[in-house]
Amino acid sequence: MKKTWQTIIHGPWAYWVGAIILGMLNLLVLIVRHQPWGVTQNIEHWAEWIGTNLGVLDDQGFTFMGLMTSSGTYLNLGLLMGAFWATLVASQARFRPIRDRKFFLSALIGGLLMGYGARIAYGCNVGALLNGIASSSLTGWIFAIAVFIGTWLGSKFLVKYLL
Amino acid sequence: MARFTIEIWGEMCPIPLIKAKNKLLSMECGDILVLETEHSCTSRGIVVWAKANRYLIEEEEVANGIWHLELTKTHD
Amino acid sequence: MGTNAFHSQQKWNLGFIVFLTLLLVLLAQISTNLTLIFVLGISLGFVLQKSRFCLVSALRDPILIGMTELTRAFLLLLGISILGFALVSWGASQRNIPLILNVFPLGVHTVVGGLLFGIGMVLAGGCSTGILMRIGEGFAMQGVAFFGLVVGAVLGERSLITWRNLFGEWSGIFLPDLLGWVPTLILEIAVLVTLWQLAKWWQKKQLGE
Repeated sequence: MKKTWQTIIHGPWAYWVGAIILGMLNLLVLIVRHQPWGVTQNIEHWAEWIGTNLGVLDDQGFTFMGLMTSSGTYLNLGLLMGAFWATLVASQARFRPIRDRKFFLSALIGGLLMGYGARIAYGCNVGALLNGIASSSLTGWIFAIAVFIGTWLGSKFLVKYLL
Repeated sequence: MARFTIEIWGEMCPIPLIKAKNKLLSMECGDILVLETEHSCTSRGIVVWAKANRYLIEEEEVANGIWHLELTKTHD
Repeated sequence: MGTNAFHSQQKWNLGFIVFLTLLLVLLAQISTNLTLIFVLGISLGFVLQKSRFCLVSALRDPILIGMTELTRAFLLLLGISILGFALVSWGASQRNIPLILNVFPLGVHTVVGGLLFGIGMVLAGGCSTGILMRIGEGFAMQGVAFFGLVVGAVLGERSLITWRNLFGEWSGIFLPDLLGWVPTLILEIAVLVTLWQLAKWWQKKQLGE
């Protein structure tokens, strides 16, 4: 009993356990939100708002109140806090700095590519791939194939430049 | 029964696993490979991979969020 | 080996639980719906971290390492989601509840976006979900990636119109409209099962006997 509790608290949980619980939560998000779980669109809206306030971007009509009452904000914030809490519960919280300059560059380039790609394809791994396929949309399947080929290309770069 | 260590501190997934895989090729049966990482997913990935390969693996959390792994090469 | 430098962080943990509870109570005064969403968001983050679920790993590890454990878990997640979404959208149509599904338009930019996203997530060490989760875990690297993601997202959103004008786009195809619900579900589950078998075979082949 104590051992089971230890595993629950410290992890790692088996992948399939994670898959089943995530599947249930994904459905609950759809039921509560009347819209599937997505990540990047809300981030983009926040970026528009911040950019407008800094005077870098032209106004697209996003207001602070509008963003604070949008469900995507709470999903993203919750995701971040939930992950932090999960490490804290297991006493595994620590700051993990970048130890090598190449990772700084790869993270920056990777992030840029990812953000650009996600927004021209209407969604990220969750919004367009997982929930695109879950919505039985043909676009979701095609996006999945494209992401898989992209992953293969990315792996080539990773082996060549980062290893 | 030699002990080997490879430096994977701060490396991103899946680089540690690729390095470990390459190192194992040059090791004899019974040798031990020692790894230390602060990346929860890396540690998990190596454990799952080692088990699938039927290597002996021991995982211990030596400090907050730091995992110490000892992999014994049990077969070629 | 060596000394065990493990310090309990339970005090911080308790503090954080109090903080989260206060936040939820405060939010509940404003909106029940948002409170529920926040709870779901926290649960998603918690489960993602605890099960070390990583969508990048699910797609990348078959290629680089030959492991498909996580890929198969991801296929399971897809299967649950497909059947669940069908059930929920059926239930919603019975009760006349409006429900938006992610049936997005299809165009050249879908494929280009997918390719760029795939390359980016391998280099950044996490997809957008993974990045948020790893920032929560305390990784500085994914913080940098998040900054890139934000800038990239704005650039992407603003160039979408150019992509549309250049190559055009077709409205998304909702498979049940084309094939009917039952054949669609059978087809999709059959594809997932086939991929599952393929993944299993691939891992066996890669690891050797």
